[in-house]
Amino acid sequence: MFWTWAVITVAGVLVGIYAPSRLMPRSMSDNMHLTILTMIVFTVAAAPVAAGVYAAALHALRHWTHKGDEVPAAGPAVRENATVVTTWLLVSTLLTVFLLIWGLGALAVDNGSTGKNPLVIDVTGQQWVWSFSYPGTHVQSDQLYLPVNREVEFRVTSEDVTHGFWIANMGVQVDANVGTITTIHTTPDKLGTFDIRCTQFCGLNHAFMVTEGHVLTSSQFTSWLASQPQRA
Amino acid sequence: MSIDTHSEHDAHGAHDGGHHEPPEVVDGRQRMGIWLFIGGDMVGLSALLFTYLYLRGVNTGGHWMQMLGYTGHPYSYYYNILDVKGGSLPNPTMIHVGTLSAGLNWTVTALTVVAAAIVWAAERGLRATKNAKSYSSLAAVAAVVTVVAIVFTVIQLRHIPQIFVANNDSQVMAYTGYDSAMMAVIGSTLIHLCILAFLGLGLTIRSSKGVINGDKWYQARLVRLFWVWVACASVIASALTTTINTIH
Amino acid sequence: MTTTLEATKTAAIPQGGGLHRRLNMLTAMIGGALFAWIFWFLAHHFLDPTSRTYSDEVTVSLTFGWIVGFWLGIGAFNAPFQWLVGRDNTRDDDLYLAGQGQGKAKYWKFTTDHKVVGVQYIIMTMVLLGAGGILAMAIRTELIIPGNHFVNQQVYNGFVAVHGMLMILALIVAVAGPWGNFVMPIMCGARDMAFPRLNALSLWTLVGAAALLLTTLAVGSLTMGWVVLEPIADQAGVGMDFFAMAIIVFTVSTTVASVNVICTALTMRTKGMTLARLPIFVWGVIIAAALGLYAFPFFSLVEVLTMVDRTFSTSFFIASGGGTGWLQANLFWLMGHPEVYVILLPSVAALFEISAVMARKPVFSYRTAIAGMTGLAGLSILVWAHHMFTTGWAPTLGGPFMLTTELISIPTGLFFLVLIGTLWRGNIWMKLPTVWMFGFIANFIIAGITGIYLSDIPIDNQLHGTMFVTAHFHYVFVGSVLFGAVSALAFWFPKVTGRFLNEYMGRISFWLTFIGVQVTFIAMFLSGLRGMPRRYSSYAMIFEHTNFITTIGAYMIMAGMLVLLGAVITSWNKGEPAGPNPWHANSLEWMVPTPVPLENFDVLPVITEDPYNYGEELVRS
Repeated sequence: MFWTWAVITVAGVLVGIYAPSRLMPRSMSDNMHLTILTMIVFTVAAAPVAAGVYAAALHALRHWTHKGDEVPAAGPAVRENATVVTTWLLVSTLLTVFLLIWGLGALAVDNGSTGKNPLVIDVTGQQWVWSFSYPGTHVQSDQLYLPVNREVEFRVTSEDVTHGFWIANMGVQVDANVGTITTIHTTPDKLGTFDIRCTQFCGLNHAFMVTEGHVLTSSQFTSWLASQPQRA
Repeated sequence: MSIDTHSEHDAHGAHDGGHHEPPEVVDGRQRMGIWLFIGGDMVGLSALLFTYLYLRGVNTGGHWMQMLGYTGHPYSYYYNILDVKGGSLPNPTMIHVGTLSAGLNWTVTALTVVAAAIVWAAERGLRATKNAKSYSSLAAVAAVVTVVAIVFTVIQLRHIPQIFVANNDSQVMAYTGYDSAMMAVIGSTLIHLCILAFLGLGLTIRSSKGVINGDKWYQARLVRLFWVWVACASVIASALTTTINTIH
Repeated sequence: MTTTLEATKTAAIPQGGGLHRRLNMLTAMIGGALFAWIFWFLAHHFLDPTSRTYSDEVTVSLTFGWIVGFWLGIGAFNAPFQWLVGRDNTRDDDLYLAGQGQGKAKYWKFTTDHKVVGVQYIIMTMVLLGAGGILAMAIRTELIIPGNHFVNQQVYNGFVAVHGMLMILALIVAVAGPWGNFVMPIMCGARDMAFPRLNALSLWTLVGAAALLLTTLAVGSLTMGWVVLEPIADQAGVGMDFFAMAIIVFTVSTTVASVNVICTALTMRTKGMTLARLPIFVWGVIIAAALGLYAFPFFSLVEVLTMVDRTFSTSFFIASGGGTGWLQANLFWLMGHPEVYVILLPSVAALFEISAVMARKPVFSYRTAIAGMTGLAGLSILVWAHHMFTTGWAPTLGGPFMLTTELISIPTGLFFLVLIGTLWRGNIWMKLPTVWMFGFIANFIIAGITGIYLSDIPIDNQLHGTMFVTAHFHYVFVGSVLFGAVSALAFWFPKVTGRFLNEYMGRISFWLTFIGVQVTFIAMFLSGLRGMPRRYSSYAMIFEHTNFITTIGAYMIMAGMLVLLGAVITSWNKGEPAGPNPWHANSLEWMVPTPVPLENFDVLPVITEDPYNYGEELVRS
């Protein structure tokens, strides 16, 4: 049983280390890096637990099954084992506490990275389009443009029903609600293009409420902003 | 619980044979059932009061007790102007609604409490004097009091102000958050009062026929338990909604 | 003892019964349709047709009429009416109501015998799973390649919502309905449930509610998921009113069922059956029932408020009047999270029971099993807002809800301890129930671990609303709950029918379903990780491979379920005969004959020990 457990654990750890970044969209922000790291840590921590369950089940199937059609003889009448129960509780609690501390820590890092001068962008969801406006200018766009390495604060709202504003490459998601503004921060740190998809079922064309975003260098961003028609 | 040794060949049961359980056992079980049902109702009341407090707390757009629109006419008036005559209305104004009448609210609660008190007193009287006829009369009084409470509840509902709202594609007679939450609370009161009226009528008829009497009074207690709960719930709801309402 | 059996088979139909004699499902349907029409007509006549809420008002009236007429037609109002006028049931009435002497007809009527209700629940579970399954296949067929080719978005979106609700209903009743009714009272040593007429009421109310839910599909369905979030639920057509009324009616069913289950288990145990000797399955059903009693009033309220917003233009969820969708989400998830444990606990508790019998050992740490189930139920009341991490409703509450949610993994882990501990060094009898139990173990660990990912807020910010979430909860519902439900079916099938569920077909079904689950939902995890949101009627090209594989897997599951259905149908009357105790188990349901006599026991047993004394008889003797 031990070797089964060990093999499955190693496999799980390897999957935990290599899979998240390969299975998920390219990470383009500070909190997305942390999110992927968290997924790695959680998977690696979970691997020995899952392996334990599978190893025990496989061992049971190989060694403890009764062959034959007649009713088996009784097994050992073990009703209780305080040591096992206590150990199990202790280990599962410690593991949970570890995951909790990591998670709360990552959350604090995400929240704490809020600086004093983020670029504020108003995001509006409306069946079934996203629009972005840049306060302080009169620029409005249906694609999102962001300068690299500059913290951005999205202020998100909706005109009609609840939508979900999601940038998969940046680990950023918050609902767009009617009559309220919700906020989320991130700092993009890679150049490139990404998708913005709606994650909250919003009616007929929910599946088509997609738009593109672009992370540009600061100078590219400034010239883009300047080139936009100024709406009154 | 005793080992029951009766056989079950009582298909032709002329007597109340078979596996007869003592009435105390059956009553104990039914009391547990009523308490569980009351427990579920307590959760329901909490959900209602949560709704009221949460709406007031969030106060989206400041619309807890005010909203943009028009008031003073029924829907048909506005429909006539907009859809039939193809006209338009002046700009909507911010309509402020006042708190609903606390007096009406407490009247309903008082009537419910009085009915519960009558039912409780009647039960105690029944157990003491074994007089099913007087219990029947008192139960009837409690039922009538409940019907009066129902009338007042309907009056309360009719006093909730409607505001005509016309935005985008939507023209409706709408309610502010406060009025909506009060409608839910009063509506729940109405439903519970209707159940109580039914129960009161049942108690009246059953005791007049002697099915409920000085020796068989358990069902009177079961109904009383629920009745007293509804009265308590009414007090709690009224106390909350008459003290915590406006936002300053 | 045999005289009891013969007596019930040849007993004359009791002379009582009154109004109930002529009522059955057909009269219920006729009554429902008739009153639906009457209430529609009244609404149509008295309400203002120019009002924008007219269609909702009429629909609410119509659906209300349906359920009133349905209840009238099945005889649900007979008892309250009799109570009102002081005419209580005679023993003859009770025997008639319990189905004595009526043969197969009793299954179509308001029959109070818990065993009849149990069989009716088996049928209803299969009907709901079947209907939900057909919709699942429609969904997956649509998603086999990108683009809308099979059905349009409107229809697809409706399928998604109704599939979800049908399956939720099916799984709430899947184990607690059939076995909580058929087996649980016998396990306690009781002759029936505490409130037999409420028992019949809970079943028939489910039927009435299911009819409304299925009708939703025919009237334009829904435009949002089964959670019917606001404010979009306000936009939906009249299908939403059918849906809301179906739920409100359904919560009546669950409330009376919960009260019945708890009272039965707590007050009707036979002499000597202390709580410490109670089979663990009964504990699971009690805890699930209590949790349901807490949770379902929220469901009822939120659907009432949705209907009121739509019909009376109140502003519970409409921002222009001061309302917020967050209220709907809070009320919904206050129900919705405990509800998943209402679904899970009976399935797990059944597996605890089955594992002991099949491993020929006592349940390992009976107390841990109870503590785990109780802890899970208690904690589940405190975690609801983890479904709302990304709504933005209360950022400061994120941490506390993350705490409570991660803590839930501790009692959940205890389930593995108990199951594996029971199997440990046992003499495991590899029959059909055992096979499905191992499937549960393999799937439930994946379900649990993926839930832990989602409980972490930064990860949830990435994965919420994606197919990762869908795959997670399908591992819970299909991979775990359903496997437990099939195990329970295979286990107790001989008690209901006197025959084994076909072992060979059952195993084919198992492998098709088990492999199908892995193929379908692992590919679905990949879709979600890659960035595909859920409830999408069409998707970008980068998701096409994983979706294609998911659909193939879904067809495997369908094949597996069809084989299972075939097994149930053929085995019911023609399966290999089984005696009254084919598994050589010790709990009371196996001590009574098959078919179980009307009132279960000729003489109520006296209990001196729990049913887990495997091997201890040897020690003692």
